[in-house]
Amino acid sequence: MSGPVPPARGRGGTVNRWAIAVVAVLTLALPPLLPERHLATFVLLLLAATVTVGVSLLMGYAGQVSLGQASFYAIGAYAAALPAVHGVPSLLGLALAPVAAAVAAVLLGAPLLRLRGHHLAFATLAVQLILLSLLAQADWAGGAIGLQGIPRLTVLGVELRDLGYAYAAWLVLAAALLIARNIVDSRPGRALRAAATSETAAAASGVAIGRHRLAVFTLSAAMAGLAGGVYAFYLGYLSPGSFPVLLSIEFVVMAVVGGLGTIAGPVVGATVIILLVQVLNTLGTQPGMPDYAPSVLSYAVYAVLLIVCVLYLPRGLVPALRRTGRRPS
Amino acid sequence: MSDLIGYLITGLGIGAGFALVASGLVAIYRVTRVVNFAQGGFAVLAALLTSTLLAAGLPHGVAELGGVALGALAGLIVGVVAIGRPGTSPGTSLIVTLGLGVLAYAVEVLIWGDQPRSFPGLTGVAEVAGARLPAHYLLILAVTAPVFALMAWFFARTDLGRALTACASNRYAAQVVGIDVRRMGLLAFTIGGALGGLAGVLTTPVQQVTFDSDVTLIVNGFAAAVLGGLTRPMIALAGGLLLGVTQTLVAGYGGGAYQMEVALVLMLTVMIVQAARTGPVPETAR
Repeated sequence: MSGPVPPARGRGGTVNRWAIAVVAVLTLALPPLLPERHLATFVLLLLAATVTVGVSLLMGYAGQVSLGQASFYAIGAYAAALPAVHGVPSLLGLALAPVAAAVAAVLLGAPLLRLRGHHLAFATLAVQLILLSLLAQADWAGGAIGLQGIPRLTVLGVELRDLGYAYAAWLVLAAALLIARNIVDSRPGRALRAAATSETAAAASGVAIGRHRLAVFTLSAAMAGLAGGVYAFYLGYLSPGSFPVLLSIEFVVMAVVGGLGTIAGPVVGATVIILLVQVLNTLGTQPGMPDYAPSVLSYAVYAVLLIVCVLYLPRGLVPALRRTGRRPS
Repeated sequence: MSDLIGYLITGLGIGAGFALVASGLVAIYRVTRVVNFAQGGFAVLAALLTSTLLAAGLPHGVAELGGVALGALAGLIVGVVAIGRPGTSPGTSLIVTLGLGVLAYAVEVLIWGDQPRSFPGLTGVAEVAGARLPAHYLLILAVTAPVFALMAWFFARTDLGRALTACASNRYAAQVVGIDVRRMGLLAFTIGGALGGLAGVLTTPVQQVTFDSDVTLIVNGFAAAVLGGLTRPMIALAGGLLLGVTQTLVAGYGGGAYQMEVALVLMLTVMIVQAARTGPVPETAR
């Protein structure tokens, strides 16, 4: 990247606060109005946005690309589903999801975060390939066929229906956004931003770069893990094929398109891309379209958006929109 | 004993494919400092086109050359998009090549569908020291060896090759003596594309290809290239052959399931050891 992007700070605090409140109310009011098919998109969108918040933190503030974020999504999903399949209360399984992902991130991050740039990108990709291969051979986790019969999430004795998952995913995303916002404004957040601009200068000023970087890596993994937990209970079925390498790339695309180092960026990026892919999917499955049309269209969308954004909107949609908004018209 | 020789030659054949992908990565990285994530895609495109050309009735040789030419063209296109805009940093270019790799999926599925494809190579069975193996593996080796010799000659003895090497060792100095660094970068991408294409064309008769085979190829190629710090083609060759042989031995004597992990764990170990030795990677001037 052409140097990490200086994060755009919220300007005009009151306006921002109102905007957030309006978006929150609207998204809370939306799920009951959606037909079932679109409700699924809504849930998956919120979960993808949650993972992207972590990716954006990692890329925007720690200046590192992870091409293996879907592995933490997978770890969270399996960590939540496996105990639940064996009769452990599902809420406990959900609580286990971010913890398992975070522990994995600490263990992996300690050696891997010595690497930078393309080395780290390939290392995280390698980790995901190893995980997928191991999962496919692990009979206790369902192997390549997958883990079936995951019970639904039960909160206070009430089994969640589709609408319940929409709100669960909403809560998960809200928590991730809140944490990200507070991290950015904290002292470690400023230290990380300094480190992303110039590691040498930051280290010389006494920033413990290694520890901060590991902390962000772990936090982003925990977010992915929590989202993975909800995903497991929502779908009720997991297999290694649910977490392809392409999924990790999709999270990177969402983060880049939305704008790295912004709080709203991941949400905007995930929304734009998932809605666009959904629209094209609907077009691609029209009668008369060849059966490969949906996959071709979605690959093309990811590719073209990523390339165009990186080359022409390197700061992503959110900062770009903010700039044009401030321009006197 | 004959088992061992069989595994060794099969492994060298598979490894030659990795080595060709790796040398393409090295050719591009040396000149442009860009790690080309779309490198595996060149191999897939070339292999798919070759299968179509052969099915259309073109003779062997012509069809394969067509595949390699498509690889080179794809390399040039990736180069234009990835480094064509002045001021694109290598990190940005990496993300761009990642995007182009995904774009290649769209093109491949659109034209060739998502089913595995293959085409016949050199048919027949060869016997080496008592080991029987498909003769095609010998063909792979017979083509790869002169290609690497040719590359060594090209980079060391021809004006163009020397200009590329000059860009690799010092961009600024190369610019000062009048070498067009950007054009050299595009040339490097074209060479990388042709090498990737050659890898795909050579190995497809013994290993089927699907649109997403590029992930395996790029990861193994990167693992081979990273041994030589992504800058030394001969170490990339050795690394590729070593990976191929190790994987075949693991598959032959151990369980077949863990051959991919061998390459991946080796790559991680090499990178971590390298990073520990050199300390944090020096920051490039901005």
